[in-house]
Amino acid sequence: MSKHVLIAEDDTALADLMAKVLSKYNIRVTITYNGKETVEALEKEVPDLLLLDILMPVLDGHGVMRFIREKQLECPVIVLSNLSDKETKDKCKEMKAQNYFVKNDLDDDDLWPAIEGYLR
Amino acid sequence: MSKITHSPPDGIALKLKVLAKEKEVVRRKLVVTAREKEVVRCKLVMTAKKLRLKARQLAATAREKEAVRRKLVVTAREKEVVRRKLLVTANELRMSRKTLEKKVLERTKDLEKVRAKDEAILASIGEGLVATDKNGRVLFVNKACERLLGWKEGETQGKLLLKVIPMSDSTGKTIPESERLITKTLKDRSTTTTTTTMYYKRKDGTSFPVAITVAPIFIGKELIGAVKVFRDITKEKEIEKARSEFMSIASHQLRTPLTAIRWVLSSLKRENLTEDQAKLVKTAHETSMNMASTIRRMLMISHLEEDGMEPELEQVILQKELEKISRLHDAHRQRNGLELALECPQDLMVRTDKQLLIEILDNLLSNALKYTPRGGKVRMSVTKEKESIRIDVADTGYGIPQEEQKRIPEKFFRASNVASPVEAGTGIGLYMVYNIVRLIGGTISFISQENKGTTFTLLFPS
Repeated sequence: MSKHVLIAEDDTALADLMAKVLSKYNIRVTITYNGKETVEALEKEVPDLLLLDILMPVLDGHGVMRFIREKQLECPVIVLSNLSDKETKDKCKEMKAQNYFVKNDLDDDDLWPAIEGYLR
Repeated sequence: MSKITHSPPDGIALKLKVLAKEKEVVRRKLVVTAREKEVVRCKLVMTAKKLRLKARQLAATAREKEAVRRKLVVTAREKEVVRRKLLVTANELRMSRKTLEKKVLERTKDLEKVRAKDEAILASIGEGLVATDKNGRVLFVNKACERLLGWKEGETQGKLLLKVIPMSDSTGKTIPESERLITKTLKDRSTTTTTTTMYYKRKDGTSFPVAITVAPIFIGKELIGAVKVFRDITKEKEIEKARSEFMSIASHQLRTPLTAIRWVLSSLKRENLTEDQAKLVKTAHETSMNMASTIRRMLMISHLEEDGMEPELEQVILQKELEKISRLHDAHRQRNGLELALECPQDLMVRTDKQLLIEILDNLLSNALKYTPRGGKVRMSVTKEKESIRIDVADTGYGIPQEEQKRIPEKFFRASNVASPVEAGTGIGLYMVYNIVRLIGGTISFISQENKGTTFTLLFPS
């Protein structure tokens, strides 16, 4: 069965772009545009990888990670956020996020290999 | 006198007899007279004695009188001297009284001038000013205070300051009297200042944010009251809010679309493109990366200036990061025909803030490449010293004019020899570098010679 990646990103352009890039890996991609939708999707099916934004409407990325911990879901999380402050980073580390990328600081050529690592 | 009897025969004898008798009488009379004379003489002698005595007494008295007179003369003389002296003194006194009066008048005028000046100064202060006695009762308020708090002139006089100006925190909770600055100042006899934003309530019940300082007033060692100065910081709060809003816009509204653009370009780069297409996409991606780093720097400077930055330590493999940084400048370097040499011990690890170190080295390398003419060489070398890491970034570029070298850490400073002819620059890179170096506990120095080159040396704890 092909791998399943869940993209939680409220910026539709970014979300669609990620989906488009990832589509060539022969995997299934689901996009959710806010935290609530993400939680609902997680309840239905636990993906092989969650690409998670932090600043999202209704429920933010922290809320999604709290949900994962409460339900003890086995799901690797890569955080992709615009926030670069230490507090947010620490909070995500505490919540066991595998990777934290600041969208703006990210060496773009690093992003795709990092994601690919979870899809092998 | 005896009776004379006449008898003729015995005429002569009789006569003689009578004569004798008469003589006897006379004699007796003479004796008597002599006795009387003797008495008189005695009396005279007595009188003479008395007189002599008297004369002696008189003489003594006269002498005494003379002495007294002499003394009087002396006294009179002395009196005269004293009188003269008194006259002089009186004159002097008159003079000094006049001078004093004049001086007092001058002083009074001066004091009035000073008072008027002080009052004018107090009245003109833009900050609110309140002086209280040692019990916290209002003694004086300036115009700004009355204006800011909406009280009429003199209305607050003698009232308790705590009652006149209620204070609350940002949640609207009233600050208890024991927590008020004026209470603390009068109790601890020391100056107090607000550290968080506090709000003052006006007479009409509305509030405004204030910054307050309260200082004790002493005469000698005795505390006689306190003086409070406060400032309406509504404008500052607005600016602060606008600034943080702008930062939020910068980080979100600018970053998000830029991220999308970059990701599109970076994924495009991985497609099978023709050589021309690949070149264009590469350039577009590079440009968008530069823009992203400009935004990052803007935010970083803002953080640095807010003192809100703390280094986040992690293990950094230096060679890997150096190669990454140099790759960012590859395109520019090749375009300008510059040679770059990297020298770094393999697997050298250092515990530091990765992002900040990258920022420093990226800036230094960027400058070295930017300010070195075509055909030049740039060398970036890492050496491990005893307890620190040394990184040199050396170029064969334009150099920094001797007289401008000490201005290098200034914000917006650009050396005059490169300001116009060479590429655009903001003068913010090295300002940032110097600040970041301090943040990671390192030091930075440089040697430079015009048209020979510059070497920056970074030392930081390993």
